[in-house]
Amino acid sequence: MSEFDAIVVGGGPAGTSAAMRLAANKLNVLLVEKADPPGSKNVSGGVLWGNSLAGVMPDWEKTAPLERYVKSKGVGFLTKDSSIDINFRSSKFSETKTGYTVLRTKLDQFLNKKAKDAGATVVTGVTVDKLAFEGKKVIGVEQDGDIITSDAVILAEGANPRVAIDSGIRPPLKDQDVAIGVKEVIKLPEKTINERFNLREKEGFAGEYVLGFLEGGVEAGGFLYTNKDSISLGVVVSMKHLRENNQTHSYDIIEQFKEHPSIAPLLDEGKVDEYSAHMVQEGGLESIPKLYGNGYMITGDAAGFSFSNGLVLQGMNYAIASGIAAADTLVEAKSGSGISEQAFSKYEEKLLNSFVLRDMHTFKGIEELTWGSLIHQKMPSILEKVMLGVLMEDGEPKKHMSQIVKEALKESGLKSSKLLLEGYKMYRRM
Amino acid sequence: MKIEDRLSLLNYKIDKSYAHITVKPDICEVCPDHFCTFACPAKCYTLMEGKLNFKYEDCVECGTCIVACSHGSVDWNNSKGAHGVKYKYG
Repeated sequence: MSEFDAIVVGGGPAGTSAAMRLAANKLNVLLVEKADPPGSKNVSGGVLWGNSLAGVMPDWEKTAPLERYVKSKGVGFLTKDSSIDINFRSSKFSETKTGYTVLRTKLDQFLNKKAKDAGATVVTGVTVDKLAFEGKKVIGVEQDGDIITSDAVILAEGANPRVAIDSGIRPPLKDQDVAIGVKEVIKLPEKTINERFNLREKEGFAGEYVLGFLEGGVEAGGFLYTNKDSISLGVVVSMKHLRENNQTHSYDIIEQFKEHPSIAPLLDEGKVDEYSAHMVQEGGLESIPKLYGNGYMITGDAAGFSFSNGLVLQGMNYAIASGIAAADTLVEAKSGSGISEQAFSKYEEKLLNSFVLRDMHTFKGIEELTWGSLIHQKMPSILEKVMLGVLMEDGEPKKHMSQIVKEALKESGLKSSKLLLEGYKMYRRM
Repeated sequence: MKIEDRLSLLNYKIDKSYAHITVKPDICEVCPDHFCTFACPAKCYTLMEGKLNFKYEDCVECGTCIVACSHGSVDWNNSKGAHGVKYKYG
Protein backbone atom coordinates (compact mmCIF):
# COMPACT_ATOMS: atom_id res chain seq x y z
CA MET A 1 0.00 0.00 0.00
CA SER A 2 1.54 3.31 -1.07
CA GLU A 3 1.57 6.37 1.16
CA PHE A 4 0.11 8.48 -1.67
CA ASP A 5 -1.93 7.92 -4.80
CA ALA A 6 0.38 10.34 -6.57
CA ILE A 7 3.50 12.37 -5.97
CA VAL A 8 3.95 15.43 -8.16
CA VAL A 9 7.54 16.70 -8.42
CA GLY A 10 7.65 20.46 -9.01
CA GLY A 11 5.25 23.25 -8.10
CA GLY A 12 5.15 25.25 -11.32
CA PRO A 13 2.13 25.55 -13.62
CA ALA A 14 2.34 21.89 -14.74
CA GLY A 15 2.72 20.40 -11.27
CA THR A 16 0.15 22.58 -9.53
CA SER A 17 -2.41 21.97 -12.29
CA ALA A 18 -1.87 18.22 -12.03
CA ALA A 19 -2.16 18.38 -8.23
CA MET A 20 -5.36 20.45 -8.36
CA ARG A 21 -6.95 18.06 -10.83
CA LEU A 22 -5.94 14.96 -8.83
CA ALA A 23 -7.16 16.45 -5.56
CA ALA A 24 -10.45 17.46 -7.18
CA ASN A 25 -10.87 13.77 -8.04
CA LYS A 26 -10.33 12.84 -4.38
CA LEU A 27 -6.89 11.36 -4.92
CA ASN A 28 -4.37 11.55 -2.11
CA VAL A 29 -1.64 13.70 -3.68
CA LEU A 30 1.70 15.01 -2.45
CA LEU A 31 3.18 17.99 -4.28
CA VAL A 32 6.90 18.50 -3.61
CA GLU A 33 8.58 21.78 -4.55
CA LYS A 34 12.26 22.51 -3.90
CA ALA A 35 11.90 26.27 -3.54
CA ASP A 36 10.46 28.06 -0.56
CA PRO A 37 8.39 30.08 -1.14
CA PRO A 38 7.24 28.18 -4.22
CA GLY A 39 7.98 30.01 -7.45
CA SER A 40 11.05 31.72 -6.05
CA LYS A 41 13.37 29.72 -8.33
CA ASN A 42 11.19 29.92 -11.42
CA VAL A 43 11.67 32.27 -14.35
CA SER A 44 9.44 32.93 -17.31
CA GLY A 45 9.26 35.73 -19.88
CA GLY A 46 6.41 35.68 -19.32
CA VAL A 47 3.11 35.74 -21.02
CA LEU A 48 0.57 33.11 -20.05
CA TRP A 49 -1.28 32.39 -23.30
CA GLY A 50 -4.59 30.64 -23.65
CA ASN A 51 -7.23 29.46 -21.26
CA SER A 52 -5.77 26.15 -20.04
CA LEU A 53 -5.97 27.15 -16.38
CA ALA A 54 -9.76 27.12 -16.65
CA GLY A 55 -9.48 23.33 -16.59
CA VAL A 56 -8.59 23.47 -12.91
CA MET A 57 -9.78 26.94 -11.95
CA PRO A 58 -12.76 28.26 -13.92
CA ASP A 59 -12.46 31.72 -12.33
CA TRP A 60 -8.69 32.07 -12.76
CA GLU A 61 -8.92 35.33 -14.69
CA LYS A 62 -10.61 36.98 -11.71
CA THR A 63 -8.50 35.43 -8.95
CA ALA A 64 -4.97 34.79 -10.24
CA PRO A 65 -2.26 37.45 -9.86
CA LEU A 66 -2.12 38.63 -13.48
CA GLU A 67 -0.28 41.79 -14.49
CA ARG A 68 -1.92 42.99 -17.74
CA TYR A 69 -3.74 41.35 -20.61
CA VAL A 70 -2.07 41.49 -24.01
CA LYS A 71 -3.84 44.23 -25.96
CA SER A 72 -0.96 44.95 -28.27
CA LYS A 73 1.40 42.40 -29.83
CA GLY A 74 4.64 43.43 -31.47
CA VAL A 75 7.14 41.68 -33.70
CA GLY A 76 10.28 43.51 -34.72
CA PHE A 77 13.50 43.12 -36.66
CA LEU A 78 16.31 45.17 -35.16
CA THR A 79 19.49 46.20 -36.94
CA LYS A 80 22.21 48.37 -35.43
CA ASP A 81 20.44 51.60 -36.41
CA SER A 82 16.88 50.63 -37.25
CA SER A 83 13.83 48.72 -36.18
CA ILE A 84 11.19 47.36 -38.52
CA ASP A 85 8.13 46.51 -36.44
CA ILE A 86 4.69 45.12 -36.86
CA ASN A 87 2.40 46.10 -34.04
CA PHE A 88 -0.93 44.37 -33.96
CA ARG A 89 -3.57 45.92 -31.69
CA SER A 90 -7.09 44.72 -31.57
CA SER A 91 -10.24 45.28 -29.56
CA LYS A 92 -10.78 41.56 -30.24
CA PHE A 93 -7.99 41.08 -27.68
CA SER A 94 -10.17 42.82 -25.07
CA GLU A 95 -13.22 40.68 -25.73
CA THR A 96 -11.31 37.42 -25.56
CA LYS A 97 -8.24 37.86 -23.44
CA THR A 98 -5.75 35.68 -25.23
CA GLY A 99 -2.70 36.30 -23.08
CA TYR A 100 -1.70 37.83 -19.75
CA THR A 101 1.70 39.00 -18.57
CA VAL A 102 2.64 37.33 -15.29
CA LEU A 103 5.45 37.26 -12.75
CA ARG A 104 6.14 33.68 -11.78
CA THR A 105 7.01 34.09 -8.13
CA LYS A 106 3.57 35.61 -7.53
CA LEU A 107 1.69 33.29 -9.87
CA ASP A 108 3.30 30.08 -8.62
CA GLN A 109 2.68 30.95 -4.97
CA PHE A 110 -0.96 31.46 -5.84
CA LEU A 111 -1.12 28.15 -7.75
CA ASN A 112 0.51 26.25 -4.88
CA LYS A 113 -2.01 27.72 -2.47
CA LYS A 114 -4.83 26.66 -4.78
CA ALA A 115 -3.42 23.12 -4.92
CA LYS A 116 -3.37 23.07 -1.13
CA ASP A 117 -6.92 24.45 -0.93
CA ALA A 118 -8.03 21.73 -3.34
CA GLY A 119 -6.78 19.10 -0.90
CA ALA A 120 -3.23 18.32 -2.02
CA THR A 121 -0.46 18.01 0.55
CA VAL A 122 2.00 20.70 -0.52
CA VAL A 123 5.57 20.50 0.76
CA THR A 124 8.01 23.27 -0.12
CA GLY A 125 11.75 23.60 0.44
CA VAL A 126 12.20 19.87 -0.15
CA THR A 127 14.31 18.50 -3.01
CA VAL A 128 13.54 15.15 -4.60
CA ASP A 129 16.77 13.37 -5.60
CA LYS A 130 15.41 10.71 -7.92
CA LEU A 131 12.65 8.27 -8.62
CA ALA A 132 12.41 5.10 -6.53
CA PHE A 133 12.09 1.88 -8.54
CA GLU A 134 11.06 -1.68 -7.90
CA GLY A 135 12.40 -3.41 -10.98
CA LYS A 136 11.24 -1.14 -13.79
CA LYS A 137 8.21 0.12 -11.91
CA VAL A 138 8.33 3.53 -10.26
CA ILE A 139 7.15 3.20 -6.67
CA GLY A 140 7.73 6.72 -5.40
CA VAL A 141 10.55 9.20 -4.93
CA GLU A 142 13.82 9.24 -3.05
CA GLN A 143 14.75 12.17 -0.86
CA ASP A 144 17.91 12.17 1.25
CA GLY A 145 17.98 8.39 1.34
CA ASP A 146 14.31 8.07 2.35
CA ILE A 147 11.70 6.68 0.01
CA ILE A 148 8.21 8.15 -0.09
CA THR A 149 5.91 5.74 -1.85
CA SER A 150 3.12 6.47 -4.30
CA ASP A 151 1.16 4.62 -6.97
CA ALA A 152 2.41 7.07 -9.57
CA VAL A 153 4.79 10.00 -9.96
CA ILE A 154 4.11 12.98 -12.19
CA LEU A 155 7.33 14.81 -13.03
CA ALA A 156 6.84 18.54 -13.49
CA GLU A 157 10.30 19.75 -12.60
CA GLY A 158 10.82 22.28 -15.35
CA ALA A 159 13.43 23.05 -17.98
CA ASN A 160 16.34 21.39 -16.18
CA PRO A 161 14.81 17.98 -15.39
CA ARG A 162 17.44 16.58 -13.02
CA VAL A 163 15.20 13.93 -11.45
CA ALA A 164 14.18 12.50 -14.83
CA ILE A 165 17.76 12.55 -16.14
CA ASP A 166 19.34 11.19 -12.94
CA SER A 167 16.71 8.43 -12.83
CA GLY A 168 17.60 7.37 -16.36
CA ILE A 169 14.18 7.98 -17.89
CA ARG A 170 15.17 10.97 -19.98
CA PRO A 171 18.35 11.61 -21.98
CA PRO A 172 20.52 14.57 -20.94
CA LEU A 173 19.83 17.84 -22.75
CA LYS A 174 21.90 18.79 -25.78
CA ASP A 175 22.69 22.13 -27.44
CA GLN A 176 19.83 21.85 -29.92
CA ASP A 177 17.28 21.23 -27.13
CA VAL A 178 17.79 24.48 -25.27
CA ALA A 179 18.48 28.18 -25.31
CA ILE A 180 19.68 30.47 -22.54
CA GLY A 181 17.07 32.92 -21.27
CA VAL A 182 18.33 36.06 -19.55
CA LYS A 183 15.90 38.60 -18.15
CA GLU A 184 15.58 41.83 -16.18
CA VAL A 185 12.55 43.28 -14.44
CA ILE A 186 12.68 47.05 -14.77
CA LYS A 187 10.53 49.23 -12.53
CA LEU A 188 8.57 52.10 -14.07
CA PRO A 189 5.43 53.88 -12.87
CA GLU A 190 2.19 52.41 -14.22
CA LYS A 191 1.26 55.75 -15.81
CA THR A 192 4.61 55.98 -17.63
CA ILE A 193 4.16 52.50 -19.06
CA ASN A 194 0.65 53.36 -20.23
CA GLU A 195 1.90 56.49 -21.99
CA ARG A 196 4.95 54.94 -23.61
CA PHE A 197 3.12 51.90 -24.96
CA ASN A 198 -0.19 53.60 -25.73
CA LEU A 199 -2.10 51.52 -23.18
CA ARG A 200 -4.94 52.02 -20.74
CA GLU A 201 -5.36 50.41 -17.35
CA LYS A 202 -4.92 46.61 -17.42
CA GLU A 203 -3.92 46.69 -21.10
CA GLY A 204 -0.49 45.31 -21.93
CA PHE A 205 2.09 45.04 -24.67
CA ALA A 206 4.05 41.92 -25.59
CA GLY A 207 6.84 42.23 -28.13
CA GLU A 208 9.24 39.73 -29.68
CA TYR A 209 12.32 40.86 -31.58
CA VAL A 210 14.93 39.39 -33.88
CA LEU A 211 18.22 40.89 -32.73
CA GLY A 212 20.11 41.21 -35.99
CA PHE A 213 22.78 43.56 -34.65
CA LEU A 214 24.56 41.62 -31.92
CA GLU A 215 28.34 41.75 -31.68
CA GLY A 216 30.04 38.74 -33.21
CA GLY A 217 26.88 37.75 -35.08
CA VAL A 218 25.35 35.95 -32.08
CA GLU A 219 21.81 34.74 -32.77
CA ALA A 220 19.28 35.71 -30.14
CA GLY A 221 15.68 36.75 -29.82
CA GLY A 222 14.55 39.55 -27.55
CA PHE A 223 11.30 40.02 -25.66
CA LEU A 224 9.66 42.96 -23.92
CA TYR A 225 6.48 42.57 -21.91
CA THR A 226 4.68 45.15 -19.81
CA ASN A 227 3.65 44.31 -16.26
CA LYS A 228 1.50 46.59 -14.11
CA ASP A 229 4.38 48.76 -12.90
CA SER A 230 7.42 47.12 -14.44
CA ILE A 231 8.78 45.84 -17.72
CA SER A 232 10.02 42.28 -18.21
CA LEU A 233 12.74 42.40 -20.81
CA GLY A 234 15.11 39.71 -21.89
CA VAL A 235 16.90 37.69 -24.51
CA VAL A 236 16.80 34.05 -25.54
CA VAL A 237 20.20 33.00 -26.85
CA SER A 238 20.76 29.85 -28.90
CA MET A 239 23.16 27.56 -27.03
CA LYS A 240 24.44 26.14 -30.32
CA HIS A 241 25.22 29.55 -31.82
CA LEU A 242 26.73 30.97 -28.66
CA ARG A 243 29.07 27.99 -28.58
CA GLU A 244 30.07 28.53 -32.22
CA ASN A 245 30.73 32.17 -31.40
CA ASN A 246 32.51 31.45 -28.08
CA GLN A 247 33.50 35.06 -27.43
CA THR A 248 30.34 36.77 -26.20
CA HIS A 249 29.07 36.53 -22.63
CA SER A 250 25.41 35.57 -22.32
CA TYR A 251 24.92 38.28 -19.68
CA ASP A 252 26.18 41.05 -22.03
CA ILE A 253 23.68 40.32 -24.82
CA ILE A 254 20.71 41.64 -22.83
CA GLU A 255 22.60 44.91 -22.30
CA GLN A 256 23.09 45.26 -26.06
CA PHE A 257 19.32 44.78 -26.47
CA LYS A 258 18.54 47.39 -23.80
CA GLU A 259 20.86 49.91 -25.45
CA HIS A 260 19.29 49.57 -28.90
CA PRO A 261 18.08 53.02 -30.10
CA SER A 262 14.46 51.86 -30.40
CA ILE A 263 14.40 50.06 -27.02
CA ALA A 264 16.40 52.40 -24.77
CA PRO A 265 13.80 55.25 -24.77
CA LEU A 266 11.14 52.81 -23.55
CA LEU A 267 13.26 52.10 -20.48
CA ASP A 268 14.30 55.69 -19.64
CA GLU A 269 14.29 56.39 -15.88
CA GLY A 270 13.54 52.72 -15.28
CA LYS A 271 15.30 51.01 -12.41
CA VAL A 272 16.50 47.41 -12.78
CA ASP A 273 14.89 45.59 -9.86
CA GLU A 274 15.80 42.00 -10.64
CA TYR A 275 18.14 40.03 -12.86
CA SER A 276 17.31 36.40 -13.65
CA ALA A 277 18.19 33.59 -16.01
CA HIS A 278 17.01 30.13 -16.91
CA MET A 279 17.41 27.56 -19.60
CA VAL A 280 14.56 27.55 -22.10
CA GLN A 281 13.27 24.52 -23.96
CA GLU A 282 13.63 25.26 -27.68
CA GLY A 283 14.14 21.94 -29.40
CA GLY A 284 10.66 21.27 -30.74
CA LEU A 285 9.42 17.77 -31.48
CA GLU A 286 12.93 16.31 -31.76
CA SER A 287 13.60 17.09 -28.09
CA ILE A 288 10.59 15.32 -26.65
CA PRO A 289 11.54 12.22 -24.63
CA LYS A 290 9.43 9.15 -23.88
CA LEU A 291 6.58 10.72 -21.96
CA TYR A 292 5.45 7.88 -19.71
CA GLY A 293 6.43 4.53 -18.29
CA ASN A 294 5.34 2.13 -15.60
CA GLY A 295 4.30 4.44 -12.79
CA TYR A 296 5.38 7.82 -14.14
CA MET A 297 4.53 10.59 -16.60
CA ILE A 298 6.60 13.65 -17.62
CA THR A 299 4.88 17.03 -18.10
CA GLY A 300 5.61 20.64 -19.03
CA ASP A 301 9.12 21.92 -19.71
CA ALA A 302 10.59 18.70 -18.31
CA ALA A 303 9.04 17.02 -21.35
CA GLY A 304 10.24 19.74 -23.73
CA PHE A 305 6.77 21.22 -24.27
CA SER A 306 7.27 24.73 -25.58
CA PHE A 307 6.48 26.53 -28.76
CA SER A 308 8.23 29.28 -30.63
CA ASN A 309 7.66 30.40 -34.20
CA GLY A 310 9.36 33.76 -33.97
CA LEU A 311 6.05 35.56 -33.40
CA VAL A 312 5.22 34.06 -30.01
CA LEU A 313 7.04 32.15 -27.33
CA GLN A 314 4.86 29.82 -25.30
CA GLY A 315 5.38 27.29 -22.54
CA MET A 316 3.09 27.76 -19.57
CA ASN A 317 -0.12 26.84 -21.41
CA TYR A 318 1.53 23.62 -22.61
CA ALA A 319 2.67 22.93 -19.05
CA ILE A 320 -0.82 23.39 -17.61
CA ALA A 321 -2.56 21.34 -20.32
CA SER A 322 -0.04 18.49 -20.00
CA GLY A 323 -0.31 18.51 -16.19
CA ILE A 324 -4.09 18.19 -16.46
CA ALA A 325 -3.80 15.42 -19.08
CA ALA A 326 -1.41 13.45 -16.85
CA ALA A 327 -3.76 13.84 -13.87
CA ASP A 328 -6.76 12.67 -15.90
CA THR A 329 -4.82 9.66 -17.17
CA LEU A 330 -3.97 8.66 -13.61
CA VAL A 331 -7.54 9.15 -12.40
CA GLU A 332 -8.83 6.96 -15.24
CA ALA A 333 -6.20 4.28 -14.63
CA LYS A 334 -7.00 4.10 -10.94
CA SER A 335 -10.72 3.75 -11.51
CA GLY A 336 -10.22 1.42 -14.46
CA SER A 337 -7.66 -1.23 -15.29
CA GLY A 338 -5.10 -0.04 -12.74
CA ILE A 339 -1.68 1.52 -13.13
CA SER A 340 0.52 0.16 -15.87
CA GLU A 341 2.63 1.47 -18.71
CA GLN A 342 -0.23 0.52 -21.03
CA ALA A 343 -2.70 2.60 -18.99
CA PHE A 344 -0.34 5.60 -19.04
CA SER A 345 -0.04 5.43 -22.83
CA LYS A 346 -3.40 7.25 -22.72
CA TYR A 347 -1.44 10.31 -21.56
CA GLU A 348 0.34 10.56 -24.90
CA GLU A 349 -2.93 9.91 -26.71
CA LYS A 350 -4.57 12.79 -24.86
CA LEU A 351 -1.68 15.09 -25.78
CA LEU A 352 -1.83 14.02 -29.42
CA ASN A 353 -5.51 14.96 -29.41
CA SER A 354 -4.85 18.35 -27.84
CA PHE A 355 -2.84 21.38 -28.91
CA VAL A 356 0.14 20.22 -26.85
CA LEU A 357 1.52 17.57 -29.20
CA ARG A 358 -0.51 18.68 -32.21
CA ASP A 359 1.36 21.98 -32.26
CA MET A 360 4.68 20.21 -31.90
CA HIS A 361 3.84 18.05 -34.92
CA THR A 362 2.33 20.85 -37.00
CA PHE A 363 5.41 23.01 -36.50
CA LYS A 364 7.95 20.22 -36.75
CA GLY A 365 11.34 21.54 -37.82
CA ILE A 366 10.47 25.21 -37.39
CA GLU A 367 13.36 25.73 -34.95
CA GLU A 368 15.74 25.12 -37.85
CA LEU A 369 14.26 28.24 -39.49
CA THR A 370 13.69 30.45 -36.45
CA TRP A 371 17.33 29.84 -35.49
CA GLY A 372 18.93 30.49 -38.84
CA SER A 373 21.06 33.14 -40.51
CA LEU A 374 18.24 34.10 -42.89
CA ILE A 375 16.05 35.35 -40.03
CA HIS A 376 18.79 36.56 -37.71
CA GLN A 377 21.32 38.12 -40.07
CA LYS A 378 19.99 38.62 -43.58
CA MET A 379 16.32 39.54 -43.06
CA PRO A 380 16.92 42.50 -40.71
CA SER A 381 19.50 44.08 -43.02
CA ILE A 382 17.47 43.44 -46.18
CA LEU A 383 14.35 44.97 -44.60
CA GLU A 384 16.37 47.97 -43.42
CA LYS A 385 17.80 48.59 -46.89
CA VAL A 386 14.39 48.29 -48.52
CA MET A 387 12.76 50.67 -46.03
CA LEU A 388 15.58 53.19 -46.35
CA GLY A 389 15.47 52.86 -50.14
CA VAL A 390 11.75 53.60 -50.18
CA LEU A 391 11.58 56.24 -47.47
CA MET A 392 14.84 58.22 -47.56
CA GLU A 393 14.71 61.35 -49.68
CA ASP A 394 18.20 62.08 -50.94
CA GLY A 395 17.49 64.17 -54.04
CA GLU A 396 18.40 61.31 -56.38
CA PRO A 397 15.91 59.96 -58.95
CA LYS A 398 13.53 57.48 -57.33
CA LYS A 399 13.64 53.75 -58.04
CA HIS A 400 10.94 51.14 -58.25
CA MET A 401 10.57 49.02 -55.13
CA SER A 402 11.45 45.89 -57.14
CA GLN A 403 14.81 47.47 -58.01
CA ILE A 404 15.45 48.40 -54.36
CA VAL A 405 14.64 44.86 -53.23
CA LYS A 406 16.90 43.43 -55.93
CA GLU A 407 19.79 45.62 -54.82
CA ALA A 408 19.25 44.81 -51.13
CA LEU A 409 19.25 41.10 -51.92
CA LYS A 410 22.38 41.42 -54.00
CA GLU A 411 24.18 43.25 -51.22
CA SER A 412 23.15 40.61 -48.69
CA GLY A 413 24.68 37.89 -50.83
CA LEU A 414 21.39 36.02 -50.75
CA LYS A 415 20.36 34.52 -54.07
CA SER A 416 16.72 35.18 -54.88
CA SER A 417 16.23 31.47 -55.62
CA LYS A 418 17.49 30.70 -52.09
CA LEU A 419 15.25 33.38 -50.61
CA LEU A 420 12.27 31.92 -52.44
CA LEU A 421 13.11 28.43 -51.23
CA GLU A 422 13.65 29.50 -47.62
CA GLY A 423 10.61 31.78 -47.76
CA TYR A 424 8.51 28.92 -49.05
CA LYS A 425 9.79 26.59 -46.30
CA MET A 426 8.97 29.20 -43.71
CA TYR A 427 5.53 29.84 -45.18
CA ARG A 428 4.82 26.10 -45.13
CA ARG A 429 6.14 25.52 -41.63
CA MET A 430 4.59 28.55 -39.97
CA MET B 1 24.98 47.72 -16.06
CA LYS B 2 27.77 45.44 -14.91
CA ILE B 3 26.87 41.82 -14.21
CA GLU B 4 28.24 42.13 -10.68
CA ASP B 5 25.79 44.97 -9.99
CA ARG B 6 22.90 42.99 -11.44
CA LEU B 7 23.76 39.93 -9.34
CA SER B 8 23.96 42.13 -6.24
CA LEU B 9 20.21 42.77 -6.62
CA LEU B 10 19.46 39.11 -5.90
CA ASN B 11 18.65 37.38 -2.64
CA TYR B 12 20.38 34.12 -1.87
CA LYS B 13 20.25 31.74 1.04
CA ILE B 14 23.74 30.33 0.63
CA ASP B 15 24.33 26.71 1.55
CA LYS B 16 27.74 26.81 3.21
CA SER B 17 27.90 23.05 3.69
CA TYR B 18 26.87 21.89 0.21
CA ALA B 19 27.92 22.96 -3.27
CA HIS B 20 25.12 21.88 -5.61
CA ILE B 21 27.46 22.17 -8.61
CA THR B 22 31.01 20.88 -8.70
CA VAL B 23 33.59 20.85 -11.48
CA LYS B 24 36.53 18.55 -12.09
CA PRO B 25 39.68 20.72 -12.14
CA ASP B 26 41.74 18.20 -14.12
CA ILE B 27 39.22 18.39 -16.99
CA CYS B 28 38.95 22.20 -16.86
CA GLU B 29 42.72 22.58 -16.85
CA VAL B 30 43.06 21.08 -20.32
CA CYS B 31 39.73 22.43 -21.67
CA PRO B 32 40.20 23.88 -25.16
CA ASP B 33 37.23 26.29 -25.13
CA HIS B 34 36.06 27.22 -21.62
CA PHE B 35 32.62 27.86 -23.13
CA CYS B 36 31.18 27.87 -19.60
CA THR B 37 32.76 31.31 -19.05
CA PHE B 38 30.65 32.71 -21.92
CA ALA B 39 27.49 30.68 -21.37
CA CYS B 40 26.94 31.08 -17.61
CA PRO B 41 24.64 34.09 -17.14
CA ALA B 42 25.74 34.56 -13.51
CA LYS B 43 29.49 34.73 -14.16
CA CYS B 44 30.18 31.77 -11.87
CA TYR B 45 32.89 30.55 -14.22
CA THR B 46 35.86 32.86 -14.78
CA LEU B 47 39.41 32.47 -16.02
CA MET B 48 42.18 33.73 -13.78
CA GLU B 49 45.59 33.59 -15.41
CA GLY B 50 44.33 30.87 -17.71
CA LYS B 51 42.98 28.78 -14.85
CA LEU B 52 39.26 28.16 -14.42
CA ASN B 53 37.74 29.49 -11.24
CA PHE B 54 34.24 28.36 -10.26
CA LYS B 55 32.05 29.67 -7.46
CA TYR B 56 28.60 28.25 -6.82
CA GLU B 57 27.44 31.01 -4.49
CA ASP B 58 26.24 33.35 -7.29
CA CYS B 59 24.52 30.53 -9.20
CA VAL B 60 20.92 31.25 -10.26
CA GLU B 61 20.27 27.54 -10.91
CA CYS B 62 19.43 28.07 -14.57
CA GLY B 63 20.97 24.78 -15.72
CA THR B 64 22.97 26.31 -18.57
CA CYS B 65 26.41 25.00 -17.57
CA ILE B 66 25.45 21.34 -17.53
CA VAL B 67 24.63 21.62 -21.23
CA ALA B 68 27.37 24.15 -22.02
CA CYS B 69 30.17 21.93 -20.73
CA SER B 70 30.69 19.32 -23.41
CA HIS B 71 33.68 17.79 -21.64
CA GLY B 72 31.89 16.17 -18.69
CA SER B 73 33.35 18.38 -16.00
CA VAL B 74 30.13 19.74 -14.51
CA ASP B 75 28.19 17.78 -11.92
CA TRP B 76 24.83 19.54 -11.47
CA ASN B 77 22.41 18.82 -8.63
CA ASN B 78 19.35 20.63 -7.41
CA SER B 79 19.97 22.85 -4.40
CA LYS B 80 18.70 21.46 -1.12
CA GLY B 81 16.73 22.76 1.85
CA ALA B 82 15.43 25.84 -0.02
CA HIS B 83 18.98 27.16 -0.33
CA GLY B 84 20.21 29.13 -3.30
CA VAL B 85 18.57 31.90 -5.31
CA LYS B 86 15.27 33.42 -4.19
CA TYR B 87 13.61 35.55 -6.83
CA LYS B 88 11.13 38.32 -6.02
CA TYR B 89 9.48 38.27 -9.45
CA GLY B 90 10.94 35.39 -11.48
